[in-house]
Amino acid sequence: MSDQALEKGQARCPGEPSTQEIIARDRVKAPQWVTSESYQFMGDEDVSVDRYIDADYAQKEYDRLWSRTWQFACREEHIPEVGDYYVYDIGKHSFIVTRTAEDQVKAYYNACMHRGTKLRPSGTEGSATVFRCPFHGWTWNVDGTMKEVLCDWDFPHVNKSEFSLPEARVELLAGFVFINMDKDAPSLAEYFGPEAMSHIEQWGLEDRYIVAHVSKIIPANWKLTMEAFMEAYHVLETHPQVSVSNADANSQYDTYGDHVNRFISSLGVVSPHHRGRYSEQDVLDQFTVGDASVLEGADRTLKEGETARQRMADMMREMFSKAADTDLSKVSDAELLDCFSYTVFPNTFLFPGISLPMVYRFRPVADDHRKCYYEVFFMHPVPANGERPEPACEEHLTEHQSFCEAPSMNDGFGAILDQDTENLLLQQQGLEASAKPGITLGNYQEIRIRHFEQTVDKYVNS
Amino acid sequence: MTKEFQRFCAVDAVPANGKKAGRVNGTPVLVVNTKGKLFAVSAVCSHQEKFLTAGRVRNCRITCPLHGAQFNLETGEAMCLPATKPIATYEVRVVDDWIEVAV
Repeated sequence: MSDQALEKGQARCPGEPSTQEIIARDRVKAPQWVTSESYQFMGDEDVSVDRYIDADYAQKEYDRLWSRTWQFACREEHIPEVGDYYVYDIGKHSFIVTRTAEDQVKAYYNACMHRGTKLRPSGTEGSATVFRCPFHGWTWNVDGTMKEVLCDWDFPHVNKSEFSLPEARVELLAGFVFINMDKDAPSLAEYFGPEAMSHIEQWGLEDRYIVAHVSKIIPANWKLTMEAFMEAYHVLETHPQVSVSNADANSQYDTYGDHVNRFISSLGVVSPHHRGRYSEQDVLDQFTVGDASVLEGADRTLKEGETARQRMADMMREMFSKAADTDLSKVSDAELLDCFSYTVFPNTFLFPGISLPMVYRFRPVADDHRKCYYEVFFMHPVPANGERPEPACEEHLTEHQSFCEAPSMNDGFGAILDQDTENLLLQQQGLEASAKPGITLGNYQEIRIRHFEQTVDKYVNS
Repeated sequence: MTKEFQRFCAVDAVPANGKKAGRVNGTPVLVVNTKGKLFAVSAVCSHQEKFLTAGRVRNCRITCPLHGAQFNLETGEAMCLPATKPIATYEVRVVDDWIEVAV
């Protein structure tokens, strides 16, 4: 077989166009961040299962990983005015992320310097003129300096200038507020590296806002849950209803430094698994969007030689321009149609595309390494008039609810997320029951998981 | 005893995204105009009796500016610690360009 001549990791879905070949045929051409590739083989050993099933491992993550990595704490639109704050928790850690000046955001350890009471409750946001402990009233200014100690005659040993609220580091990028507990960590730009930074800077995510925010407890380790979203290899078995028109087996996978990886999964083309059984017209006939009514009356008959993908791109451009009141004339077909999924280590996914405009965040549930907290944010472009709507508030689902039950969730997408997460308890339990000490990964389609876990190892083991 | 509506303030005094505190029969009341609707609630937090007047309103919730308790403006329900008890809500209406509240 000719494949045997290939180096490990070089094999691709045989006899099918690559993602780049699909995108190269598009009418409105894609930018360089789309048309580049950055795959490298990273080994084919099994990945140990202790990381998913061992509480001691989870503790090491708190001690060495969460304490040293940049994390998406909130969006800038959560805290538009000076004094606005958003409480971000990771495990037992808790931070008050607050705007202290028009262009400055700080993150305070959320604990009173007196006897430790949280200054603001977890899971909340609001606006403050001071941060005042509800127990004895010790008070800090919004800039973190100490303002008041009740009965200060009794605390001659408290020097106010030394009792400012301790801070984590903060950096702002593309409308996201990132925080890091490690004073010695690299800058955010170094952490992402120049290539991934150039991608993020081109997306204009600072000009989007949160139109929906849905969260749910998932009964599986946070890394296992994230990895359910890192490949398109699962689409055929897990999402049969969308597999026909998704370039799943020929999706593209890339890694960038230690902290960023991605896939590009093209839509509007026949899946290699379904080759020969569906026509271009079939693919177009299956095309739908969240609000299917906006496609009513559209001409759905392909002309001789016309592709479903091109017609879909044209329809999407027109439809989304109207629906979001924004100009998409220069946005490429690929950006409109395809699924661009980036992992930003350790716990965030960014989807810079237009049709699938999500941000995901995953956090372990404190004290339970077998559960995690999964959030889905949908990001729409700020309307053309420039008026930024308020970010949507969180709709929280319990472990046994369907994503479709969230009022702002589109049913079709909710069903996909249900399928993605329904297998996770079985996977968590299976790893705990398995006779095999590691998971086995594909060299190409599952490179994001290997890349991600190798970075986990770097933090946990150093 | 049926509560009677009483004049609270002129409708212009509480524009969209605005709020105004005042007393009705001695009871501190906060009227909030948000999401195209008027709400009237107790102006005092159920947690430690601080005024909610300067609290941020978003998504039909008001946040106590001092300790961060949040309340649903429609039902008065406490949405998070440190509050566990609701705040009172009052019927509100507009008559002849006056906001009226029944306390």
